[in-house]
Amino acid sequence: MGELAVAGTVGDELVAIGLGSCIGLALVDRAANVAGLAHVVLPDSQGQQVPRAKFADTAVPELIACVLAAGALRRRLEAVLIGGARMFSVGASLDVGARNAEAVREALGRERIRIHVEEVGGNRGRTARVIIGTEITSQLAGGPRTSLLSFGPQRPGSTLRTVGALR
Amino acid sequence: MPDHLTELQLDALRELANISSGTAATSLSQMLGRDVDLSVPRALALPLADAVEAAGDPAETVTGIGLEVTGDVPGAVLLLVPPEGAATLCSLLGVEPGTEVGDSALGEIGNILGASYLNALSSMTGMSLLPGTPQVMTDLLGAIVASVLAQSVGHGDIALVLDSELDITGEPCAISFMLLPDADGVNDLLAPLGVGDPAS
Repeated sequence: MGELAVAGTVGDELVAIGLGSCIGLALVDRAANVAGLAHVVLPDSQGQQVPRAKFADTAVPELIACVLAAGALRRRLEAVLIGGARMFSVGASLDVGARNAEAVREALGRERIRIHVEEVGGNRGRTARVIIGTEITSQLAGGPRTSLLSFGPQRPGSTLRTVGALR
Repeated sequence: MPDHLTELQLDALRELANISSGTAATSLSQMLGRDVDLSVPRALALPLADAVEAAGDPAETVTGIGLEVTGDVPGAVLLLVPPEGAATLCSLLGVEPGTEVGDSALGEIGNILGASYLNALSSMTGMSLLPGTPQVMTDLLGAIVASVLAQSVGHGDIALVLDSELDITGEPCAISFMLLPDADGVNDLLAPLGVGDPAS
């Protein structure tokens, strides 16, 4: 929770277990086989600086910096959002999950990062898995894994490189 | 603020938890007609991620019974029961587990435990702590605990957890009882005991 991790080796796996109202935010460069996963807990840091991955507004720039440092190219980055469920309405009784999802979308918009797919909302917890070179999956408690993004043989990055060479 | 809790303050909170959970265990025992064993409670002030780990394996499926706490010391009460424990509680109450009636019976257990715990805490500290309506859900432990803690911790990173374990004698049923006060309310519990933080 409030943590992030980056991997750049095929077969490496990043996992966020039990995402309730939290968001598992993955940023992927499929061509470079680099991805990062942040476990975002709350929408707004209100100036709080650490831990940066805990809040949507600080987690997005931090995760971008980390995947770029690991060899990703900014223009190839794609985002996957998992989680943001409405669990108990104990406490502030506001829908933290929905606010988290909205805040992550806004922060990605500011950074001009494309959202490939979202698996958010509902009232059940999910587990997010990023398997470098293979896929990104979301799994409900006791359910099967759903594939949300496939690294696949056709990578957008390699297509872009071909276009560049033809010019 | 829980970020600066001293050992003395944690000891005082542990003692409050000890007495309050004793009262709660007695109520549960009367409700079920069974003996209830009570573990020595813990008072933990931990970073959010560690607080979830302290509650158990985040990947484990559990039934959570949550009650909002309002009044002078807002926060939440959260009970965690493994699936076999939830089935045991339902059968002791004569209802089918995993059904709407079963969940409602578990909610009632949350009500009884939460109300008696908060009452005891109230009368010791002179603070009002009022239980809300119980909500029952079965999901991954990590998802349940993190979602409740995210709201009680707010913008600090330290979560205060007072937890006790209640075991029904002779049955495979362990109930983990947690009080999760919001970050700002903790000092109000400590001040009446003479170990509050004079600064706030």
